Amino acid sequence: MKTAGISRTPRISSAIKVAGAIALVLMATLTPASHPLWFAAEAALVAAVVLGSRVPLRPLLRRLLMLSPFVAGAALAAVLGSHGTDWRVLAARSTVCLATVIVLSQTTSISELLGVLRAARVPSLLLTTLALMHRYLFVLADESARMGRARTARTFTRSRRFAWVTRATVVGHLFVRASERAERVYDAMCARGWKA
Amino acid sequence: MNAAIEILSLSFRYPDGTRALSEVSFRVAEGECVGLLGPNGSGKSTLLHHLNGILPERLQAEARAVLIEGRAVTPQNVSAIRRRAGLLFQDPDDQLFCSTVSEDVAFGPEQLGLPAGEVETRVRGALEQVGLSDLAGRPPHHLSTGEKRRACLAGVLACSPGILVLDEPTSGLDPRGRRELIALLRDIPATKLIATHDLELVVELCPRSVILDRGRVVADGPTRTLLNDEALMLAHGLERPHVLQHSHPHLGADRVEPLSRSSEAVPR
Repeated sequence: MKTAGISRTPRISSAIKVAGAIALVLMATLTPASHPLWFAAEAALVAAVVLGSRVPLRPLLRRLLMLSPFVAGAALAAVLGSHGTDWRVLAARSTVCLATVIVLSQTTSISELLGVLRAARVPSLLLTTLALMHRYLFVLADESARMGRARTARTFTRSRRFAWVTRATVVGHLFVRASERAERVYDAMCARGWKA
Repeated sequence: MNAAIEILSLSFRYPDGTRALSEVSFRVAEGECVGLLGPNGSGKSTLLHHLNGILPERLQAEARAVLIEGRAVTPQNVSAIRRRAGLLFQDPDDQLFCSTVSEDVAFGPEQLGLPAGEVETRVRGALEQVGLSDLAGRPPHHLSTGEKRRACLAGVLACSPGILVLDEPTSGLDPRGRRELIALLRDIPATKLIATHDLELVVELCPRSVILDRGRVVADGPTRTLLNDEALMLAHGLERPHVLQHSHPHLGADRVEPLSRSSEAVPR
């Protein structure tokens, strides 16, 4: 089975970026709780990469903020849990890992990323799934925005309950549409010789 | 002339019981360009999906209702048939599933098992043919609808099919995109079957048309004769196109059609 046209010759710099990101994530994960200064050093390293790569700061911070509930969730689990893990350590660890992955995603295109993973012999079925997921996230986001606009255009009440009911209906429709589109995409793949 | 597409009494029912095609029969000769017309829900797309073996989901070994270049669309032949009959889908977002335009165009040739050098040559050639060489590295969601449609066509052309099956190729295009696509299609020498509501396109490109309604072939004949028959057009949810109703200063006298309301029997 072949993977959907993913480049066979990834640029060296992408491979180095991916390897560096994995190393940094591993380092953050394995840093002992007794050495909080190491986290500061890892955070400084991420910051240096951000400055060096001239990634725009605003989108990076926005993405970090969007994902912050996961960090908060992990920290909360530490507070409530009985393992005795310090919640601050967990928060620092997750933040460094998330920031690393966000910087990687902002400096490496999905095409390059998939090329590196392919070179690393990641199973092609997983790569195809990742490529399709990335491609259709945008289509679904557009579809959901269009449905949202259509809903707003015909919403004449301020009732919150009604708003939630229609929102839930839109989400339901989106699932149905996504599944129908998946069938059509599969047909289009078969039409061009795909053999699953 | 040899038949590129032969449809012999094809009937099809969807699993929910909806009858989509009833006893459809016609043939398309090699090199011919045929328009497939009909109102929404008449079975045009369902019919096109049979030509590439996408429908029915379970192909039967003994089925001989659809023949592509003399080969029946059966499980044994479906790979060879998909090499010969390229299908352009109605929604370009269904067809462009890779991360960049060039990767998507490369998908078909890669599936054909061609060597990397040949894949690259075909991708470059197909993109050049549709005028998208500059956008090769772009992700599909950054393209306009017209560009997406041309990228889809490049993906099909890269497989060098002898037969092009096009489902609503001009839907959603602005006038310039539409003109560019029509010019492009005119220059492609393959056998073409074009399902569309764009009657002016059919007048321009297809000397012959087939009209489907409720899953049945209701007319098959010269495009200008069928499309000039107002009664026939209105009876099947269509209309006489503007280009056949008026003379046009940019067209030669031979392109002007009389405003007659033909009630002659429609050739089958």
